[in-house]
Amino acid sequence: MAEFVKVSKLFDAAVEEVWKLWTEPEYVMQWWGPDKFTCPIADIHFKEGGTSLVCMKAPESFGGASHYSIWKYTKIVLHESIEFIQNLADEKGNKKRPTEVGMPADFPEDVRTLVTFKAVGKDKTEMTVTEFADFGQMSHFAQLGLEQSIGKAAAVFGA
Amino acid sequence: MNFRRDVFQAISDPTRRAILSLIALGAMTPNSIAGHFDSSRQTISKHIQILTECELVKQEQSGREIYYHLNPQKIKEVSDWAEQFRVLWEGRLRHMDKILKSMKKD
Repeated sequence: MAEFVKVSKLFDAAVEEVWKLWTEPEYVMQWWGPDKFTCPIADIHFKEGGTSLVCMKAPESFGGASHYSIWKYTKIVLHESIEFIQNLADEKGNKKRPTEVGMPADFPEDVRTLVTFKAVGKDKTEMTVTEFADFGQMSHFAQLGLEQSIGKAAAVFGA
Repeated sequence: MNFRRDVFQAISDPTRRAILSLIALGAMTPNSIAGHFDSSRQTISKHIQILTECELVKQEQSGREIYYHLNPQKIKEVSDWAEQFRVLWEGRLRHMDKILKSMKKD
């Protein structure tokens, strides 16, 4: 498992408040969907071994499709860290391969995610999100993606 | 199935990632690289070969010695790919900031 995304941000809030962004469905629903998307479902089962189901819905202008993901919690240290595995899923929370739910072939399948919380003063918290994935597996998908793009390019040029 | 060796496969191995971090600090000879690991010289040499094949590492002859150095252009292939996921998370963090600000007002 190699690290492939690491983002940090300093928030003007106590650790306990920032923590709620991950544990309270009404907060998760406000940030999980990217810009213009909505998050109509955040079925949160926040405990080690538990699995949450989250949904992001594309705006009607983008086709309005719903994309489901599951977060299976592997380790939780109260107000310090949350570790979970992200997978794409169907509406019932069954794990799906990226290509089965219409995602690009190079979308990683099992994404191990680590969120850490650090108090850096009164009402100031630094939160870091790190995503890890198996690049060996991705190499396979990246290869398929490349072949598909080459196929498309060839079609454009009438090959 | 037999897949072409690419950068993603090359960095899927922890020893190879350690070699990359090591030579990121400066070009090194195969012997000095192997000196940092418990594995046999042969094993390390095989790893270097894979890294060279996918062009993450380039070799340069200097006198009698061969030096290996990092090829930043190839590293960029990996970071470009990861960029889309980073952008996604940065958007989420901005949303989180807004949520926390509205939580305070309530």
